[in-house]
Amino acid sequence: MAKTLQERRAERQLMIVLLPSLLLLVAFVIYPAIYSVYLSFTNEALTGAAARAPRFVGWRNYTRLFNDAKFWNALFVTFVFVLGAAIIGQFVLGLVSAIALRRRLVFRTVFSSIILLPNAAPEVVAGFMWISMLAGGDHATLSRFVFFFGLPTADWLQVFPLAMIIVVNTWRGIATAMILLTAGLSTIPQEIYEAARMDGATPAQMFRRITLPLMMPTILLYMLISTVSTIAVFGLVYALTRGGPGGATELISIYIYNQSFTAYQLGYGAAVVVIALLVSLLLGIAYARAAKVEI
Amino acid sequence: MSVAPPGESANRLRGDLMAYASLSLISIFCAIPFFWLLIASFDSNAQLFLRWPETWTFANYLRVFTKEDGAKWLFNSLFVVGVATFLVMVLSGLGGYALSRTRAWWKLPFLYAILLIRVLPSTALVVPLYKFLLTLNNAEGALLRPIFGSATRDIMRWTGFIDGYLGLILVLATMQLPLSLWIMKTFFDDLPRDYEEAALMDGATMIQRIRRVLIPLALPGLAASGLFAFMSAWGDFLLPLILLSSPELQTLPLGLFRAFLRINEIDYGLLTALAFIYLVPAVVAFGFARRFLVQTFSGGVKG
Repeated sequence: MAKTLQERRAERQLMIVLLPSLLLLVAFVIYPAIYSVYLSFTNEALTGAAARAPRFVGWRNYTRLFNDAKFWNALFVTFVFVLGAAIIGQFVLGLVSAIALRRRLVFRTVFSSIILLPNAAPEVVAGFMWISMLAGGDHATLSRFVFFFGLPTADWLQVFPLAMIIVVNTWRGIATAMILLTAGLSTIPQEIYEAARMDGATPAQMFRRITLPLMMPTILLYMLISTVSTIAVFGLVYALTRGGPGGATELISIYIYNQSFTAYQLGYGAAVVVIALLVSLLLGIAYARAAKVEI
Repeated sequence: MSVAPPGESANRLRGDLMAYASLSLISIFCAIPFFWLLIASFDSNAQLFLRWPETWTFANYLRVFTKEDGAKWLFNSLFVVGVATFLVMVLSGLGGYALSRTRAWWKLPFLYAILLIRVLPSTALVVPLYKFLLTLNNAEGALLRPIFGSATRDIMRWTGFIDGYLGLILVLATMQLPLSLWIMKTFFDDLPRDYEEAALMDGATMIQRIRRVLIPLALPGLAASGLFAFMSAWGDFLLPLILLSSPELQTLPLGLFRAFLRINEIDYGLLTALAFIYLVPAVVAFGFARRFLVQTFSGGVKG
Protein backbone atom coordinates (compact mmCIF):
# COMPACT_ATOMS: atom_id res chain seq x y z
CA MET A 1 0.00 0.00 0.00
CA ALA A 2 2.92 2.33 0.72
CA LYS A 3 3.86 2.31 -2.94
CA THR A 4 0.50 3.54 -4.14
CA LEU A 5 0.58 6.27 -1.57
CA GLN A 6 3.97 7.37 -2.86
CA GLU A 7 2.76 7.11 -6.43
CA ARG A 8 -0.26 9.20 -5.64
CA ARG A 9 1.97 11.81 -4.07
CA ALA A 10 4.18 11.81 -7.17
CA GLU A 11 1.14 12.28 -9.41
CA ARG A 12 0.01 15.21 -7.30
CA GLN A 13 3.44 16.79 -7.53
CA LEU A 14 3.40 16.42 -11.32
CA MET A 15 0.08 18.20 -11.45
CA ILE A 16 1.42 21.02 -9.29
CA VAL A 17 4.42 21.68 -11.54
CA LEU A 18 2.15 21.74 -14.59
CA LEU A 19 -0.29 24.11 -12.93
CA PRO A 20 1.44 27.45 -13.76
CA SER A 21 1.50 26.59 -17.47
CA LEU A 22 -2.12 25.51 -17.32
CA LEU A 23 -3.16 28.73 -15.58
CA LEU A 24 -1.42 30.93 -18.14
CA LEU A 25 -2.92 29.02 -21.07
CA VAL A 26 -6.39 29.16 -19.58
CA ALA A 27 -6.13 32.87 -18.74
CA PHE A 28 -4.56 34.13 -21.96
CA VAL A 29 -5.66 31.63 -24.62
CA ILE A 30 -8.66 29.51 -23.69
CA TYR A 31 -10.61 32.12 -21.79
CA PRO A 32 -10.14 34.80 -24.51
CA ALA A 33 -11.20 32.27 -27.17
CA ILE A 34 -14.42 31.52 -25.29
CA TYR A 35 -14.88 35.17 -24.35
CA SER A 36 -14.75 36.09 -28.05
CA VAL A 37 -17.85 33.96 -28.61
CA TYR A 38 -19.66 36.01 -25.95
CA LEU A 39 -18.30 39.31 -27.31
CA SER A 40 -19.52 38.44 -30.79
CA PHE A 41 -23.13 38.59 -29.52
CA THR A 42 -22.72 42.09 -28.07
CA ASN A 43 -22.18 45.56 -29.48
CA GLU A 44 -19.02 46.00 -27.38
CA ALA A 45 -16.75 48.82 -28.58
CA LEU A 46 -13.46 50.32 -27.46
CA THR A 47 -14.84 53.85 -27.12
CA GLY A 48 -18.18 55.63 -27.06
CA ALA A 49 -21.53 54.77 -25.51
CA ALA A 50 -21.33 51.07 -26.39
CA ALA A 51 -18.05 50.77 -24.46
CA ARG A 52 -19.69 51.95 -21.24
CA ALA A 53 -22.86 49.90 -21.53
CA PRO A 54 -22.51 47.06 -24.04
CA ARG A 55 -25.79 45.39 -24.99
CA PHE A 56 -26.61 41.89 -26.12
CA VAL A 57 -27.47 42.09 -29.81
CA GLY A 58 -28.14 38.44 -30.72
CA TRP A 59 -27.01 37.38 -34.17
CA ARG A 60 -26.78 40.93 -35.48
CA ASN A 61 -22.99 40.93 -35.81
CA TYR A 62 -23.18 37.71 -37.80
CA THR A 63 -25.90 38.90 -40.17
CA ARG A 64 -23.92 42.08 -40.67
CA LEU A 65 -20.81 39.99 -41.27
CA PHE A 66 -22.39 37.88 -43.99
CA ASN A 67 -23.67 40.99 -45.74
CA ASP A 68 -20.36 42.81 -45.45
CA ALA A 69 -18.52 42.93 -48.76
CA LYS A 70 -15.28 43.77 -46.92
CA PHE A 71 -15.51 40.53 -44.93
CA TRP A 72 -15.95 38.45 -48.08
CA ASN A 73 -13.11 40.39 -49.65
CA ALA A 74 -10.89 39.56 -46.64
CA LEU A 75 -11.80 35.88 -46.93
CA PHE A 76 -11.06 35.92 -50.64
CA VAL A 77 -7.74 37.73 -50.18
CA THR A 78 -6.72 35.26 -47.46
CA PHE A 79 -7.67 32.32 -49.68
CA VAL A 80 -5.62 33.61 -52.63
CA PHE A 81 -2.75 34.46 -50.29
CA VAL A 82 -2.64 30.97 -48.77
CA LEU A 83 -3.05 29.33 -52.17
CA GLY A 84 -0.39 31.45 -53.87
CA ALA A 85 2.19 31.56 -51.09
CA ALA A 86 1.84 28.40 -49.01
CA ILE A 87 0.32 25.88 -51.42
CA ILE A 88 2.11 26.92 -54.62
CA GLY A 89 5.02 29.34 -54.11
CA GLN A 90 6.75 27.98 -51.02
CA PHE A 91 5.93 24.41 -51.92
CA VAL A 92 7.39 24.52 -55.44
CA LEU A 93 10.54 26.44 -54.50
CA GLY A 94 10.96 24.39 -51.31
CA LEU A 95 10.62 21.13 -53.22
CA VAL A 96 13.10 22.26 -55.89
CA SER A 97 15.57 23.29 -53.15
CA ALA A 98 15.09 20.05 -51.21
CA ILE A 99 15.63 17.87 -54.29
CA ALA A 100 18.62 19.91 -55.52
CA LEU A 101 20.24 19.85 -52.08
CA ARG A 102 20.18 16.03 -52.03
CA ARG A 103 23.04 16.07 -54.53
CA ARG A 104 26.61 16.26 -53.35
CA LEU A 105 27.19 19.86 -54.40
CA VAL A 106 30.18 22.00 -53.48
CA PHE A 107 28.32 24.90 -51.81
CA ARG A 108 25.57 22.80 -50.23
CA THR A 109 25.73 24.36 -46.76
CA VAL A 110 26.07 27.85 -48.19
CA PHE A 111 22.97 27.40 -50.32
CA SER A 112 20.87 25.92 -47.52
CA SER A 113 21.98 28.62 -45.06
CA ILE A 114 20.99 31.38 -47.46
CA ILE A 115 17.61 29.77 -48.11
CA LEU A 116 16.99 29.50 -44.35
CA LEU A 117 17.89 33.15 -43.75
CA PRO A 118 14.52 34.77 -44.64
CA ASN A 119 12.82 32.56 -42.07
CA ALA A 120 15.03 34.04 -39.37
CA ALA A 121 14.18 37.68 -40.17
CA PRO A 122 11.59 39.27 -37.86
CA GLU A 123 8.37 40.17 -39.67
CA VAL A 124 8.88 43.92 -39.51
CA VAL A 125 12.44 43.70 -40.83
CA ALA A 126 11.26 41.46 -43.66
CA GLY A 127 8.50 43.93 -44.53
CA PHE A 128 10.91 46.84 -44.43
CA MET A 129 13.43 45.12 -46.71
CA TRP A 130 10.73 44.32 -49.24
CA ILE A 131 9.45 47.89 -49.26
CA SER A 132 12.86 48.67 -50.67
CA MET A 133 12.81 45.81 -53.18
CA LEU A 134 9.32 46.67 -54.46
CA ALA A 135 9.43 50.46 -54.30
CA GLY A 136 8.18 52.55 -57.19
CA GLY A 137 10.57 54.34 -59.53
CA ASP A 138 13.21 52.95 -61.84
CA HIS A 139 15.87 52.48 -59.16
CA ALA A 140 14.10 49.89 -57.00
CA THR A 141 15.55 46.40 -57.24
CA LEU A 142 12.59 44.64 -58.83
CA SER A 143 12.10 47.47 -61.32
CA ARG A 144 15.74 47.29 -62.37
CA PHE A 145 15.46 43.55 -62.68
CA VAL A 146 12.41 43.60 -64.97
CA PHE A 147 13.88 46.55 -66.89
CA PHE A 148 16.92 44.38 -67.58
CA PHE A 149 14.60 41.95 -69.35
CA GLY A 150 12.95 44.78 -71.28
CA LEU A 151 9.69 44.69 -69.33
CA PRO A 152 7.83 47.77 -68.09
CA THR A 153 8.45 48.86 -64.49
CA ALA A 154 5.72 49.77 -61.99
CA ASP A 155 5.02 50.86 -58.45
CA TRP A 156 4.72 47.21 -57.53
CA LEU A 157 2.86 47.44 -54.22
CA GLN A 158 0.30 49.79 -55.77
CA VAL A 159 -0.29 47.97 -59.03
CA PHE A 160 0.05 44.30 -58.03
CA PRO A 161 -0.40 44.37 -54.24
CA LEU A 162 -1.77 40.86 -53.72
CA ALA A 163 0.77 39.24 -56.05
CA MET A 164 3.56 41.08 -54.25
CA ILE A 165 2.61 39.97 -50.74
CA ILE A 166 2.42 36.42 -52.11
CA VAL A 167 5.97 36.80 -53.45
CA VAL A 168 7.18 38.16 -50.11
CA ASN A 169 5.54 35.45 -48.04
CA THR A 170 6.87 32.81 -50.42
CA TRP A 171 10.33 34.26 -49.89
CA ARG A 172 9.89 33.94 -46.14
CA GLY A 173 8.46 30.41 -46.18
CA ILE A 174 10.68 28.50 -48.63
CA ALA A 175 12.71 27.33 -45.63
CA THR A 176 9.73 25.70 -43.89
CA ALA A 177 8.84 23.76 -47.01
CA MET A 178 12.46 22.85 -47.70
CA ILE A 179 13.07 21.52 -44.19
CA LEU A 180 9.91 19.42 -44.05
CA LEU A 181 10.27 18.07 -47.58
CA THR A 182 13.97 17.28 -47.04
CA ALA A 183 12.96 15.19 -44.04
CA GLY A 184 10.33 13.47 -46.19
CA LEU A 185 12.76 12.81 -49.06
CA SER A 186 15.32 11.25 -46.75
CA THR A 187 12.87 8.50 -45.81
CA ILE A 188 12.67 7.23 -49.40
CA PRO A 189 15.14 4.35 -49.74
CA GLN A 190 17.83 5.00 -52.37
CA GLU A 191 17.50 1.39 -53.66
CA ILE A 192 14.14 2.14 -55.25
CA TYR A 193 15.77 4.74 -57.48
CA GLU A 194 18.65 2.39 -58.31
CA ALA A 195 16.19 -0.29 -59.35
CA ALA A 196 14.16 2.14 -61.43
CA ARG A 197 17.32 3.41 -63.11
CA MET A 198 18.25 -0.18 -63.98
CA ASP A 199 14.88 -0.52 -65.64
CA GLY A 200 15.67 2.56 -67.71
CA ALA A 201 13.33 5.02 -66.04
CA THR A 202 13.87 8.71 -66.86
CA PRO A 203 14.29 11.26 -64.04
CA ALA A 204 10.84 12.70 -64.83
CA GLN A 205 9.26 9.25 -64.58
CA MET A 206 11.06 8.54 -61.30
CA PHE A 207 9.82 11.82 -59.87
CA ARG A 208 6.22 11.14 -60.87
CA ARG A 209 6.09 7.43 -60.05
CA ILE A 210 8.36 7.21 -56.98
CA THR A 211 9.09 10.55 -55.34
CA LEU A 212 5.62 12.09 -55.45
CA PRO A 213 3.58 9.09 -54.25
CA LEU A 214 6.01 8.25 -51.44
CA MET A 215 6.16 11.91 -50.41
CA MET A 216 2.38 12.32 -50.23
CA PRO A 217 2.05 12.04 -46.43
CA THR A 218 4.81 14.63 -45.94
CA ILE A 219 3.30 16.90 -48.58
CA LEU A 220 -0.10 16.71 -46.91
CA LEU A 221 1.42 17.50 -43.53
CA TYR A 222 3.28 20.45 -45.03
CA MET A 223 0.10 21.76 -46.68
CA LEU A 224 -1.76 21.73 -43.36
CA ILE A 225 1.07 23.28 -41.34
CA SER A 226 1.72 26.01 -43.88
CA THR A 227 -1.98 26.76 -44.36
CA VAL A 228 -2.49 27.22 -40.65
CA SER A 229 0.61 29.38 -40.22
CA THR A 230 -0.10 31.45 -43.35
CA ILE A 231 -3.64 32.26 -42.17
CA ALA A 232 -2.01 33.71 -39.05
CA VAL A 233 0.40 36.01 -40.93
CA PHE A 234 -0.04 39.59 -39.78
CA GLY A 235 3.09 41.66 -39.17
CA LEU A 236 4.76 40.95 -42.50
CA VAL A 237 1.83 42.16 -44.60
CA TYR A 238 0.83 44.87 -42.15
CA ALA A 239 4.31 46.38 -42.29
CA LEU A 240 4.23 46.26 -46.10
CA THR A 241 0.75 47.50 -46.97
CA ARG A 242 -1.42 47.81 -43.83
CA GLY A 243 -4.11 46.05 -45.87
CA GLY A 244 -4.13 48.56 -48.70
CA PRO A 245 -4.41 49.83 -51.29
CA GLY A 246 -8.20 49.84 -50.97
CA GLY A 247 -8.38 46.52 -49.11
CA ALA A 248 -6.48 44.64 -51.84
CA THR A 249 -4.23 42.99 -49.25
CA GLU A 250 -6.60 43.03 -46.29
CA LEU A 251 -6.10 39.51 -44.98
CA ILE A 252 -8.59 38.24 -42.42
CA SER A 253 -6.01 38.95 -39.68
CA ILE A 254 -5.61 42.55 -40.81
CA TYR A 255 -9.38 42.91 -41.17
CA ILE A 256 -9.82 41.80 -37.55
CA TYR A 257 -7.18 44.27 -36.42
CA ASN A 258 -8.66 47.14 -38.42
CA GLN A 259 -12.22 46.47 -37.27
CA SER A 260 -11.23 46.18 -33.61
CA PHE A 261 -8.44 48.70 -33.16
CA THR A 262 -9.04 51.22 -35.92
CA ALA A 263 -12.84 51.17 -36.08
CA TYR A 264 -13.06 50.15 -32.37
CA GLN A 265 -15.86 47.63 -33.11
CA LEU A 266 -14.86 44.89 -30.67
CA GLY A 267 -18.17 43.01 -30.87
CA TYR A 268 -18.13 42.92 -34.64
CA GLY A 269 -14.42 42.09 -34.68
CA ALA A 270 -15.14 39.19 -32.32
CA ALA A 271 -17.64 37.73 -34.78
CA VAL A 272 -14.87 37.64 -37.40
CA VAL A 273 -12.60 36.11 -34.76
CA VAL A 274 -15.09 33.32 -34.08
CA ILE A 275 -15.22 32.44 -37.79
CA ALA A 276 -11.40 32.47 -37.99
CA LEU A 277 -11.12 30.33 -34.86
CA LEU A 278 -13.61 27.78 -36.22
CA VAL A 279 -11.73 27.47 -39.52
CA SER A 280 -8.40 27.09 -37.70
CA LEU A 281 -9.80 24.50 -35.31
CA LEU A 282 -11.12 22.41 -38.20
CA LEU A 283 -7.70 22.58 -39.89
CA GLY A 284 -6.07 21.74 -36.55
CA ILE A 285 -8.16 18.61 -36.09
CA ALA A 286 -7.32 17.57 -39.64
CA TYR A 287 -3.67 18.21 -38.84
CA ALA A 288 -3.71 16.18 -35.63
CA ARG A 289 -5.17 13.28 -37.61
CA ALA A 290 -2.88 13.60 -40.64
CA ALA A 291 0.25 13.92 -38.54
CA LYS A 292 -0.78 10.87 -36.51
CA VAL A 293 0.84 12.69 -33.63
CA GLU A 294 2.28 10.30 -31.08
CA ILE A 295 1.10 11.08 -27.61
CA MET B 1 30.30 -0.32 -58.67
CA SER B 2 30.88 -0.98 -62.32
CA VAL B 3 31.92 1.72 -64.73
CA ALA B 4 28.94 3.94 -65.43
CA PRO B 5 27.82 4.02 -69.04
CA PRO B 6 28.69 7.33 -70.72
CA GLY B 7 25.04 8.35 -70.89
CA GLU B 8 24.69 8.11 -67.14
CA SER B 9 27.57 10.39 -66.20
CA ALA B 10 26.32 12.94 -68.71
CA ASN B 11 22.95 12.69 -67.01
CA ARG B 12 24.53 13.24 -63.62
CA LEU B 13 26.43 16.29 -64.85
CA ARG B 14 23.29 17.76 -66.34
CA GLY B 15 21.43 17.13 -63.09
CA ASP B 16 24.18 18.79 -61.07
CA LEU B 17 24.17 21.81 -63.36
CA MET B 18 20.42 22.13 -63.06
CA ALA B 19 20.69 21.88 -59.27
CA TYR B 20 23.37 24.60 -59.18
CA ALA B 21 21.31 26.84 -61.45
CA SER B 22 18.06 26.52 -59.51
CA LEU B 23 19.76 26.84 -56.12
CA SER B 24 21.64 29.93 -57.28
CA LEU B 25 18.44 31.61 -58.46
CA ILE B 26 16.57 30.77 -55.25
CA SER B 27 19.52 31.91 -53.14
CA ILE B 28 19.72 35.25 -54.95
CA PHE B 29 15.99 35.72 -54.38
CA CYS B 30 16.48 34.94 -50.68
CA ALA B 31 19.60 37.03 -50.16
CA ILE B 32 19.05 40.28 -52.08
CA PRO B 33 16.88 42.03 -49.46
CA PHE B 34 19.49 41.31 -46.76
CA PHE B 35 22.19 42.62 -49.06
CA TRP B 36 20.41 45.98 -49.32
CA LEU B 37 19.90 46.17 -45.56
CA LEU B 38 23.55 45.41 -44.85
CA ILE B 39 25.19 47.83 -47.25
CA ALA B 40 22.66 50.64 -46.83
CA SER B 41 23.28 50.59 -43.09
CA PHE B 42 26.93 51.51 -43.74
CA ASP B 43 26.18 54.00 -46.51
CA SER B 44 26.59 57.66 -45.59
CA ASN B 45 23.92 58.55 -48.15
CA ALA B 46 21.62 55.52 -47.88
CA GLN B 47 18.63 55.33 -50.20
CA LEU B 48 15.53 53.20 -50.47
CA PHE B 49 17.06 51.36 -53.40
CA LEU B 50 20.10 49.14 -53.63
CA ARG B 51 23.29 51.03 -54.46
CA TRP B 52 26.97 50.76 -53.78
CA PRO B 53 27.99 53.35 -51.14
CA GLU B 54 30.33 56.15 -52.17
CA THR B 55 31.57 56.49 -48.61
CA TRP B 56 31.26 53.91 -45.87
CA THR B 57 30.35 55.01 -42.36
CA PHE B 58 29.36 53.90 -38.88
CA ALA B 59 27.40 57.10 -38.31
CA ASN B 60 24.06 55.41 -39.06
CA TYR B 61 24.53 53.07 -36.12
CA LEU B 62 25.54 55.94 -33.86
CA ARG B 63 22.44 57.92 -34.87
CA VAL B 64 20.22 54.98 -33.77
CA PHE B 65 21.40 55.67 -30.24
CA THR B 66 21.78 59.46 -30.35
CA LYS B 67 19.00 60.72 -32.60
CA GLU B 68 16.45 58.02 -31.75
CA ASP B 69 15.84 56.11 -28.55
CA GLY B 70 17.56 53.01 -29.93
CA ALA B 71 19.16 52.11 -26.60
CA LYS B 72 15.80 52.19 -24.83
CA TRP B 73 14.11 50.09 -27.52
CA LEU B 74 16.94 47.57 -27.46
CA PHE B 75 16.77 47.37 -23.68
CA ASN B 76 12.98 46.96 -23.70
CA SER B 77 13.16 44.19 -26.31
CA LEU B 78 15.97 42.37 -24.55
CA PHE B 79 14.28 42.70 -21.17
CA VAL B 80 10.77 41.68 -22.22
CA VAL B 81 11.85 38.85 -24.52
CA GLY B 82 14.59 37.71 -22.13
CA VAL B 83 12.27 37.43 -19.13
CA ALA B 84 9.56 35.78 -21.25
CA THR B 85 12.08 33.25 -22.59
CA PHE B 86 13.33 32.46 -19.10
CA LEU B 87 9.76 32.01 -17.91
CA VAL B 88 9.00 29.69 -20.82
CA MET B 89 12.08 27.60 -20.10
CA VAL B 90 11.14 27.16 -16.44
CA LEU B 91 7.47 26.47 -17.08
CA SER B 92 8.00 24.21 -20.07
CA GLY B 93 10.74 22.30 -18.26
CA LEU B 94 8.46 21.57 -15.31
CA GLY B 95 5.30 21.14 -17.39
CA GLY B 96 6.97 19.02 -20.08
CA TYR B 97 8.32 16.74 -17.37
CA ALA B 98 4.88 16.39 -15.82
CA LEU B 99 3.29 15.70 -19.22
CA SER B 100 5.87 13.06 -20.00
CA ARG B 101 5.75 11.22 -16.67
CA THR B 102 2.14 11.41 -15.61
CA ARG B 103 -0.32 8.56 -16.05
CA ALA B 104 -3.30 10.64 -15.03
CA TRP B 105 -6.51 10.92 -17.05
CA TRP B 106 -5.83 14.52 -18.03
CA LYS B 107 -2.68 13.69 -19.98
CA LEU B 108 -4.32 13.05 -23.36
CA PRO B 109 -6.91 15.85 -23.20
CA PHE B 110 -4.16 18.28 -22.23
CA LEU B 111 -1.87 17.21 -25.07
CA TYR B 112 -4.65 17.46 -27.63
CA ALA B 113 -5.58 20.85 -26.22
CA ILE B 114 -2.08 22.31 -26.64
CA LEU B 115 -1.94 20.87 -30.14
CA LEU B 116 -5.16 22.68 -31.03
CA ILE B 117 -4.06 25.86 -29.26
CA ARG B 118 -1.05 25.93 -31.54
CA VAL B 119 -3.24 26.27 -34.62
CA LEU B 120 -5.23 29.20 -33.23
CA PRO B 121 -3.92 32.32 -34.95
CA SER B 122 -2.76 34.88 -32.37
CA THR B 123 -4.32 37.57 -34.55
CA ALA B 124 -7.72 36.06 -33.74
CA LEU B 125 -7.00 35.94 -30.02
CA VAL B 126 -5.85 39.52 -29.54
CA VAL B 127 -9.29 41.13 -29.59
CA PRO B 128 -10.78 39.24 -26.61
CA LEU B 129 -7.34 39.14 -25.01
CA TYR B 130 -7.07 42.91 -25.17
CA LYS B 131 -10.50 43.32 -23.61
CA PHE B 132 -9.63 40.84 -20.85
CA LEU B 133 -6.28 42.49 -20.11
CA LEU B 134 -7.97 45.88 -20.03
CA THR B 135 -10.33 44.60 -17.31
CA LEU B 136 -7.41 43.18 -15.32
CA ASN B 137 -5.50 46.39 -15.76
CA ASN B 138 -8.38 48.58 -14.56
CA ALA B 139 -8.89 46.33 -11.56
CA GLU B 140 -5.20 46.55 -10.70
CA GLY B 141 -5.28 50.32 -11.12
CA ALA B 142 -8.32 50.67 -8.87
CA LEU B 143 -6.57 48.54 -6.27
CA LEU B 144 -3.25 50.39 -6.35
CA ARG B 145 -4.43 53.98 -6.73
CA PRO B 146 -5.77 54.42 -3.18
CA ILE B 147 -2.49 53.07 -1.79
CA PHE B 148 0.12 54.69 -4.02
CA GLY B 149 -1.72 57.74 -5.37
CA SER B 150 0.18 59.54 -8.08
CA ALA B 151 3.00 56.97 -8.09
CA THR B 152 0.55 54.36 -9.42
CA ARG B 153 1.43 55.03 -13.07
CA ASP B 154 5.13 54.42 -12.41
CA ILE B 155 4.38 51.12 -10.71
CA MET B 156 1.91 50.07 -13.39
CA ARG B 157 4.59 50.62 -16.00
CA TRP B 158 6.18 47.50 -14.56
CA THR B 159 3.18 45.55 -13.30
CA GLY B 160 0.40 46.73 -15.62
CA PHE B 161 -1.38 44.38 -18.00
CA ILE B 162 -1.90 47.03 -20.68
CA ASP B 163 1.03 49.30 -21.41
CA GLY B 164 3.21 47.60 -18.80
CA TYR B 165 6.06 45.11 -18.89
CA LEU B 166 4.25 42.40 -16.92
CA GLY B 167 1.29 42.02 -19.27
CA LEU B 168 3.44 41.81 -22.39
CA ILE B 169 5.86 39.36 -20.75
CA LEU B 170 3.11 37.03 -19.55
CA VAL B 171 1.23 37.04 -22.85
CA LEU B 172 4.41 36.61 -24.92
CA ALA B 173 5.45 33.69 -22.72
CA THR B 174 2.01 32.08 -22.89
CA MET B 175 1.99 32.19 -26.68
CA GLN B 176 5.28 30.22 -26.76
CA LEU B 177 4.21 27.68 -24.14
CA PRO B 178 2.38 25.15 -26.36
CA LEU B 179 5.38 24.53 -28.62
CA SER B 180 7.84 24.59 -25.73
CA LEU B 181 5.76 22.20 -23.63
CA TRP B 182 5.60 19.91 -26.62
CA ILE B 183 9.37 20.06 -27.17
CA MET B 184 10.08 19.32 -23.50
CA LYS B 185 7.49 16.55 -23.32
CA THR B 186 9.02 14.71 -26.29
CA PHE B 187 12.48 15.37 -24.86
CA PHE B 188 11.64 13.78 -21.51
CA ASP B 189 9.91 10.89 -23.28
CA ASP B 190 13.29 9.94 -24.74
CA LEU B 191 15.06 10.30 -21.39
CA PRO B 192 15.32 7.04 -19.42
CA ARG B 193 13.58 7.05 -16.08
CA ASP B 194 16.38 5.10 -14.38
CA TYR B 195 18.13 8.15 -12.96
CA GLU B 196 15.04 9.61 -11.36
CA GLU B 197 13.97 6.25 -10.02
CA ALA B 198 17.38 5.77 -8.48
CA ALA B 199 17.16 9.22 -6.92
CA LEU B 200 13.66 8.42 -5.73
CA MET B 201 14.93 5.20 -4.13
CA ASP B 202 17.61 7.21 -2.33
CA GLY B 203 14.80 9.26 -0.85
CA ALA B 204 15.43 12.46 -2.78
CA THR B 205 12.60 14.98 -2.66
CA MET B 206 10.93 16.41 -5.75
CA ILE B 207 13.04 19.60 -5.53
CA GLN B 208 16.24 17.61 -5.16
CA ARG B 209 15.34 15.38 -8.07
CA ILE B 210 14.69 18.39 -10.26
CA ARG B 211 17.86 20.23 -9.26
CA ARG B 212 20.37 17.41 -9.17
CA VAL B 213 19.07 15.04 -11.79
CA LEU B 214 16.59 16.57 -14.17
CA ILE B 215 18.02 20.01 -14.90
CA PRO B 216 21.47 18.71 -15.89
CA LEU B 217 19.87 16.02 -18.07
CA ALA B 218 17.32 18.38 -19.60
CA LEU B 219 19.73 21.11 -20.68
CA PRO B 220 19.69 20.26 -24.42
CA GLY B 221 15.91 20.19 -24.44
CA LEU B 222 15.71 23.43 -22.49
CA ALA B 223 18.09 25.02 -24.98
CA ALA B 224 15.79 24.08 -27.86
CA SER B 225 12.69 25.20 -26.03
CA GLY B 226 14.30 28.50 -25.04
CA LEU B 227 15.67 29.18 -28.53
CA PHE B 228 12.31 28.74 -30.21
CA ALA B 229 10.58 30.83 -27.57
CA PHE B 230 13.19 33.55 -27.98
CA MET B 231 12.96 33.62 -31.78
CA SER B 232 9.21 33.74 -31.86
CA ALA B 233 8.89 36.34 -29.09
CA TRP B 234 11.70 38.46 -30.52
CA GLY B 235 10.04 38.59 -33.93
CA ASP B 236 6.54 39.22 -32.62
CA PHE B 237 5.05 42.50 -33.73
CA LEU B 238 1.34 42.16 -33.05
CA LEU B 239 1.43 41.86 -29.26
CA PRO B 240 3.62 44.89 -28.56
CA LEU B 241 1.64 46.81 -31.18
CA ILE B 242 -1.57 46.20 -29.26
CA LEU B 243 -0.36 46.12 -25.67
CA LEU B 244 2.11 49.03 -25.59
CA SER B 245 1.51 52.72 -26.16
CA SER B 246 3.96 54.66 -23.96
CA PRO B 247 7.09 55.76 -25.86
CA GLU B 248 9.32 54.67 -22.98
CA LEU B 249 8.07 51.07 -23.25
CA GLN B 250 8.52 50.69 -27.02
CA THR B 251 10.37 47.67 -28.28
CA LEU B 252 12.55 47.38 -31.38
CA PRO B 253 9.84 46.24 -33.83
CA LEU B 254 7.57 49.11 -32.77
CA GLY B 255 10.41 51.62 -32.91
CA LEU B 256 11.34 50.45 -36.40
CA PHE B 257 7.73 50.44 -37.61
CA ARG B 258 6.91 53.87 -36.22
CA ALA B 259 10.17 55.43 -37.39
CA PHE B 260 9.33 54.18 -40.84
CA LEU B 261 5.85 55.68 -40.75
CA ARG B 262 7.23 59.20 -40.30
CA ILE B 263 7.21 59.58 -44.08
CA ASN B 264 8.31 63.21 -44.17
CA GLU B 265 11.74 62.66 -42.65
CA ILE B 266 12.76 59.13 -43.52
CA ASP B 267 16.42 58.53 -42.72
CA TYR B 268 17.22 55.27 -44.52
CA GLY B 269 20.69 55.02 -43.03
CA LEU B 270 19.27 55.10 -39.53
CA LEU B 271 16.37 52.76 -40.36
CA THR B 272 18.55 50.12 -41.99
CA ALA B 273 21.02 50.28 -39.09
CA LEU B 274 18.14 49.89 -36.63
CA ALA B 275 16.69 46.99 -38.62
CA PHE B 276 20.10 45.36 -38.74
CA ILE B 277 20.53 45.65 -34.96
CA TYR B 278 17.11 44.08 -34.56
CA LEU B 279 17.93 41.34 -37.07
CA VAL B 280 21.24 40.12 -35.62
CA PRO B 281 19.97 38.38 -32.43
CA ALA B 282 17.26 36.65 -34.49
CA VAL B 283 19.77 35.28 -36.99
CA VAL B 284 22.20 34.18 -34.26
CA ALA B 285 19.42 32.34 -32.41
CA PHE B 286 18.27 30.78 -35.68
CA GLY B 287 21.80 29.58 -36.35
CA PHE B 288 21.87 27.80 -33.00
CA ALA B 289 18.36 26.43 -33.47
CA ARG B 290 19.08 25.02 -36.91
CA ARG B 291 19.73 21.48 -35.78
CA PHE B 292 16.43 21.37 -33.90
CA LEU B 293 14.41 22.64 -36.85
CA VAL B 294 13.49 19.32 -38.40
CA GLN B 295 11.96 17.77 -35.30
CA THR B 296 10.14 20.95 -34.41
CA PHE B 297 8.67 21.59 -37.83
CA SER B 298 7.42 18.06 -38.22
CA GLY B 299 6.42 17.73 -34.58
CA GLY B 300 4.24 20.78 -34.47
CA VAL B 301 2.69 23.67 -36.26
CA LYS B 302 4.27 27.09 -36.95
CA GLY B 303 8.00 27.88 -37.03
